[in-house]
Amino acid sequence: MIATHTVAGLHGGDDACIELRRLHRFFGKTKAVNDISFSVARGHVHGYIGPNGAGKTTSMRILATLDLPSYGDAFVDGFSVVNDPELVRRRLGFMPDSFGTYRDVNCKEYLDFFARANGLVGRERNARLKWVLDFTGTNGMAEKPIRGLSKGMKQRLCLGRALIHDPAVLILDEPAAGLDPRARIELRKMIRELADRGKTVLISSHILTELAEMCDSVGIIEQGHLLATGSIEQIQREREQHREVTIRVLDRAEEAAKVIAERDGIGSMICDGQLLRFEFEGDIEAQADFVAWIVGQGFRVAEVSSHKKSLEDVFLQVTEGLVQ
Amino acid sequence: MSETIAMATKPLVSNWERLDDWFERVGDRLNPILVKETRQALKSSQFVVTFSVLLFAALAWTVVGSLSQMPQIYTTPSASRLMIGYYIVLAIPMLLVVPLAAYRSLEGEIDDGTLELLSITALSPWQIVLGKLASASLQMMLYFVALFPCMAYAYTLRGVDLPTTLLAIAILLVSGLVLTVAALFLAPLSRSRTGRIATLLLLMMLLLGSEYSIGYLEINMIAYGNPMPADQVFFFAVSTLLLSLSVSHLLLTATAAQLTPESENRSTHLRISLMVLSMVLVGIATYAMRALNGFVDIFIAVFIGVMFALAGLWILGGSLMSGESSTMTPRIRRELPQSFFARSLLTWLTPGPATGFVFASVNIMVLTGFVLYGFHEMEAASGRFRATELQALTRASILFASYLILGLAAVRLVVAVVRINNHPRVEIGAAALISVMVMAALVPYSIGLHFNDYRNYSYSRWQITNWAWTLAEAGPSGSVRWPEVTIVAIAAAIAFFSILLLMPRVVMPRRLATPERVEQERRRISTR
Repeated sequence: MIATHTVAGLHGGDDACIELRRLHRFFGKTKAVNDISFSVARGHVHGYIGPNGAGKTTSMRILATLDLPSYGDAFVDGFSVVNDPELVRRRLGFMPDSFGTYRDVNCKEYLDFFARANGLVGRERNARLKWVLDFTGTNGMAEKPIRGLSKGMKQRLCLGRALIHDPAVLILDEPAAGLDPRARIELRKMIRELADRGKTVLISSHILTELAEMCDSVGIIEQGHLLATGSIEQIQREREQHREVTIRVLDRAEEAAKVIAERDGIGSMICDGQLLRFEFEGDIEAQADFVAWIVGQGFRVAEVSSHKKSLEDVFLQVTEGLVQ
Repeated sequence: MSETIAMATKPLVSNWERLDDWFERVGDRLNPILVKETRQALKSSQFVVTFSVLLFAALAWTVVGSLSQMPQIYTTPSASRLMIGYYIVLAIPMLLVVPLAAYRSLEGEIDDGTLELLSITALSPWQIVLGKLASASLQMMLYFVALFPCMAYAYTLRGVDLPTTLLAIAILLVSGLVLTVAALFLAPLSRSRTGRIATLLLLMMLLLGSEYSIGYLEINMIAYGNPMPADQVFFFAVSTLLLSLSVSHLLLTATAAQLTPESENRSTHLRISLMVLSMVLVGIATYAMRALNGFVDIFIAVFIGVMFALAGLWILGGSLMSGESSTMTPRIRRELPQSFFARSLLTWLTPGPATGFVFASVNIMVLTGFVLYGFHEMEAASGRFRATELQALTRASILFASYLILGLAAVRLVVAVVRINNHPRVEIGAAALISVMVMAALVPYSIGLHFNDYRNYSYSRWQITNWAWTLAEAGPSGSVRWPEVTIVAIAAAIAFFSILLLMPRVVMPRRLATPERVEQERRRISTR
C-alpha cells in the first residue's frame, strides 16, 4: 500500500492572498495603523518597510490574528482575521521579531510540538518534520537544546516552526535582524525558494538592499500611513523625477556646465574638473536625447553615467524620519 | 505544481513495532501541551530535585519512623505516626510545588511570548489550559505512585483503617487539583508587573493557607480517626467532589476566557458555568435539608455557607456581566439563536451587558426564593426561630436581592457611559459596583450627618439608598419594616423591567449568515 503526503504544499494562482482593507489600530490617542490598504498576490514576496514605530509589527500582528483592528479588516486567502481567525491560522505561518523558546526542549521536540499543536498526526507529522529540518538546514541540530543555539540557527528554527503546518502565507517580522552576512544570504535564498514554491510572503526588514533583491513588491509605511506601495520599479518610476547624471567632458567643461544648466529640467550642477554632476529630470529615453544634444553642441563627452535610485534612496525620499 | 512524496507503508514485522505504532497513535490523540510539558518536566531540574527529595524523605522517614517505634511496632498499631510523616512528605509537592509549577508554566508562556505562538496554532484556549492541568495531574500521580509503597507499608502496621486512608488520599488529590486550577486561573489574570506580584502573593497565601488547613484536617483524621457517621461522610464527600468539579470548571472556563481573543464569545460558557455552580450549591443545601434532618446544626451551617457563597458569586458574576461590552462582533452574531423558542431561552446567554443584567437578576430572584424557602425549612427542622426572626430574615433577603439588582442596573448604566470613549476590561463592572454601593451608602449618610450637626441620628426613610444601614435595621429589633422593603423591591422591579423593555433594541442584531466558503472550510477541517 502506498501512502501519499503533500510535503511542500504548493499553492498556485495569482489572486490576492493577503489583503488589508482600510486597516486602523489605535492605542489610546496613538494611531499605530491608520487607514492602510494593500494586497499581495499569491506566490509573491512583499516587503514591508518603515522606520521603527511606523506600524509594521502592529499590522503584521493583526494579520497573524494576534491583535484586532480598531476599524477595517484584513484577509488571508479570503478569510477575515476578525471573523474567521481559526481558518486564517491554518493558512498562516508567523515569525515574530522575538523568539519564544521553551526550557529543556531540543529542536526536534520543539518542531514536533508545534506540528502536533497544528493538528498534524502520525506519518504526515513525521514527513513534515523531516522536510522542515532539511529545508531549514537544522537537521544537524535536531537533538540540541534550543537555548544553546546561535541567533542564526534560532531564526532558522523559528522559520521552520512557521512552516511546519505547510501554510500558504508567511508573515516574517524582521527575520534578518542580528544575523551575520552569510546567514542573511541563506535566509534570503530560503525565502525566495518558498515564494517560488507558491508561498505568499510578507516580510519586514530594515536591511533594504536585501529586500530589494528578494521582494516582488514593497510597501513603505510611516506613522501608521502607507506612503507608497507597488513593485520596486514602479515606485522608483513614480519617484524618479530627478536622476543623478555624471558626465566627463574632456575640454571646456565649465562652458559645458553653463550650457547644460540653462537647459530645462537640469538642477544642482556641480563642476569638478572634467566631471559635471547634475540632477536630470526625465526617463532613460530623455537621457539618451540629452546626451545626443550635448554632443551636438560640440562638446567632447568621454563618459556618461546615471545613477538609478536604490530602494534606500526611494525610502529616504518617501519617508520623513518621523516616529510616533 | 504540487510536490508530493510517496511513502510505502512497510508491513509491521514484530510485536515491538506494532506496539510502537500503537503508542504513536495514542500519542497523536493526547493533548500536545501534555506531551510537551511531560517531555520538559522529565528533563527539568525542578521535577528531578522534587522527586529525589520526595523519595529520599520517604525512605528516611520509613527508617527513622520504624526504628523510633521499636519494639512496640511488632505488637501495637503504629501506622498513624508513619502515615502522618508520609502525608507531610506528599503534601508539599502536591499542594505547593505542583500548583506553583503550573502557575509558573502558564505565566512563562505569557512572558516568553510562546503563548502567542500557541494561540495561532489549531489549539483552543481550553486545550491549552487542560493540557497544563493534565501535565500537573500527571506529576501528582507520579509523586503519589512513588510514595504508594511506603503508604502500603504503613497500612500494614495497623492503626489507620482503609476508608480513612482512602479518604485522606482523596482529599489530598482533589485539593491538589483544585489548587492547581486556582493557580492556572491566577496566572494570566494580570499582565502588569505589580499585578503579577499581587497574584503571586495571593497564590502563595492560598497555597500556604490550604497546606495548613488541609494538613490540620488530615493529620487529625489520621491520628484520631474519622469521627463522622457514614451518611455524613457520604454527604461531605459527594458535596466536596461536586463543588470541586463545578468550581474547577468555572475557574478553567475563566482562564480559557482570559486567553481567548475579544472578538470571540467569552461570556456564554462562563454564564453556563456560573449557573451550574449555583445549581450545585442549591443541590448541596437541599440535600442537607432532606438528608441531614437529624443534624440541625450541620444543616444550618451548610445552608448559611451556601447562602453566603451564592451571594458572593452573584455579586461578582453579576457585576462582571453587567459591565460587559455591548459590541457584538460579526463572529458572535453568527452564533445568535435564531428560532423564536431558542431566542426566548438562549438570548440571556449571549454576551452583552443587557442580557448579562437580566440573566444575573433572574438568577438572583430565583436564588432568593430558594433562600426564603430554606429559612422556612430551617425553622421547621429546628423550631428555634421566632416568627419575628423569620420575618426579619425574609426582609433582609428581599432587601439584599433588591439592592443587588439596583446596583447591577447602576453598573449597567455607569459602564455604558464609561465605554463611550474607553475600552476598559470587564473587571470595570466590579469596580463600578463597589463605587456605586459605597456612594449609595455614604452620600445619604453624610447628608443626614450634616443636617443633624454631625451627631448620631436614627434611621429614617431618607436613608433608604443606604443599603448597609437599611439591612442592619431589617433585624427583629430594627426600624425597617415591610413598607421600606416594598419601596426597595418596587425600585428594583422598575429597574429590571426598564432594562428588559429596552432590551429589544440591544438584542435586535439578528443572526448573521456564515459565509458558505467558511462553512465548507469548517466541514473540510472537521472531516479530516
